[in-house]
Amino acid sequence: MAALLEVSDVTVRFGGLIAVNEVSLRVGAGEICALIGPNGAGKTTLFNAIAGYVPLNAGRILLRGTPIQDLAPHRIAAGGVRRTFQNGGLFGHLTALENVLVGLHTQVDSAFFGIVLGSRRSGVAEATASGHARKLLDLMDLGDIADQPAHALSGGQQRMVEIVRALATDPPLLLLDEPAVGLAPPMREQLGGVIRNLARERGIGILLIEHAIELVMSISDRVIVLNYGRKVADGSPDEVRADRSVLEAYLGHA
Amino acid sequence: MAKLPQAAALAASWRGRRAFWLVPLLLLPVPAWLNEYQQYVINMMLMYVPVAVGFNLVVGNLGLLAFSNVAFFGIGAYTTGVLMLQVGLPWWLTIIPAGLMGAIAGCATSVPALRGVRSFYLAIMTLAFGELMRWIYIRWEPVTGGSMGMAVPAPDLFGWPLITEARKFYVFLALALLVVIATDRLLRTRFGRAFLAIKSNEVAAAAMGIPTDRYIVLCFGWSGFAVGIGGAMYAALVGHLTPVSFDLTELIVEFAMIMVGGLGSLVGSVIGAVVITAAPQVFLDFPGFQELVFGVLIILVLLFLPNGLASLLARLHPGLRDRYHRE
Repeated sequence: MAALLEVSDVTVRFGGLIAVNEVSLRVGAGEICALIGPNGAGKTTLFNAIAGYVPLNAGRILLRGTPIQDLAPHRIAAGGVRRTFQNGGLFGHLTALENVLVGLHTQVDSAFFGIVLGSRRSGVAEATASGHARKLLDLMDLGDIADQPAHALSGGQQRMVEIVRALATDPPLLLLDEPAVGLAPPMREQLGGVIRNLARERGIGILLIEHAIELVMSISDRVIVLNYGRKVADGSPDEVRADRSVLEAYLGHA
Repeated sequence: MAKLPQAAALAASWRGRRAFWLVPLLLLPVPAWLNEYQQYVINMMLMYVPVAVGFNLVVGNLGLLAFSNVAFFGIGAYTTGVLMLQVGLPWWLTIIPAGLMGAIAGCATSVPALRGVRSFYLAIMTLAFGELMRWIYIRWEPVTGGSMGMAVPAPDLFGWPLITEARKFYVFLALALLVVIATDRLLRTRFGRAFLAIKSNEVAAAAMGIPTDRYIVLCFGWSGFAVGIGGAMYAALVGHLTPVSFDLTELIVEFAMIMVGGLGSLVGSVIGAVVITAAPQVFLDFPGFQELVFGVLIILVLLFLPNGLASLLARLHPGLRDRYHRE
């Protein structure tokens, strides 16, 4: 059976710089796979390649066995790969609810002429989406802040809203780019619990970039270490912890 | 932000919405009290409503600094003029074609934006498009009448001649209202949210599955359509089209409308169209003083109400807040 996400021998070059060098990895449904490595190791570039923002120089990316490497970002997103952003990708002037509604964009069944002419169907579609978005926020205990503009929320709330937004359409695969950055330790733990539940209970495949190493080691099924664009380790958290090349990647050659 | 309990906020916003719809109703008996000139000024305000709405949609909601508005305006006006004068169509049959020509020009203008041209670069490119259109109005003399302009035949609605300003008023009110209603519907749905998402973060918008290119074309297209209809109204209102009417001064007036009304606010577009059209009339008998009033008004509003007069409305009563106005 094809893995949910299969990245094989992907290379991305920026001019003379090889940002991602022949990296392969697989993420299965319900699996949490962490991508770690020093700054500049190519983690975010690999994310951007998977999400369609960066063209590949070599390699293939398959989602449930279908190649997606040549698709535009919005098509990949519509196809079930959703992501969060390193520096907060919420739409600041939209409310939390509206952010989630934008996440639901591809599922709102309203068409241009229907809307302009005031068709009943588009009205119903909008109202349904609105109710659904509110329910999704309620499920994460974010109902109280649904009508606040996103920029006015705390860092932790923003992170949660961004995850709700990414998951609004029930995508099979979620890419999380440093979700714990800037969060206080208790908030991190809570976030770890949420991520674990998404994988265990909803069967979502998760690819996670994170520097908070305790969090990574406690929730991941697999840890992949990148250094200078290359994969230097790939295994269970315990295996990776014991791997000498990982220490070298972070601390330089001993 | 002061937060009302949800039910109260909803009720307030509903009352607010109803309050907005009362405005056109209250306007119905207005012609009874006005002379022809005053009515002409009111009609001009109504004519500027779709023009400002279309402009604000691209600049305020989509967040792209495109100054092609006057080009759409002129294209709409000349489409009406040419179809009436050269083809012999009655005015009312030219309204939709004027809108469609504006829409086509709008879609065409979005091409540089699709190629990644943004901010000042997009501003100057779209500005150049407006000037290019002016060159065409001047040079394409057999059709447009060149720099001397073109006299537009008397307008009518289904054979009912719009010979008085009061008659034009009712037709203009209906047209302005239709454009506002349709745009309001658009803004309240996933289309409006997609525009705002693109303005806020294009990369994240695409990550939500929004085909950003398609929405940029659509936004420019609808903008051009609305402004083109304004052009058709202009032709009926003024009766004479000259290239000089569609120059940079016109652009500054329209830009002032959306800035003073409130960037990204539909209500603001309407307020801006009214206030900026009214401002020069206040000191009609003191030539030279008019420009001063106009300038001071813009400076004062932007100094004390950077989000425009629409935000003042929101301060007066929370129910009057334009829900889709993002400051």
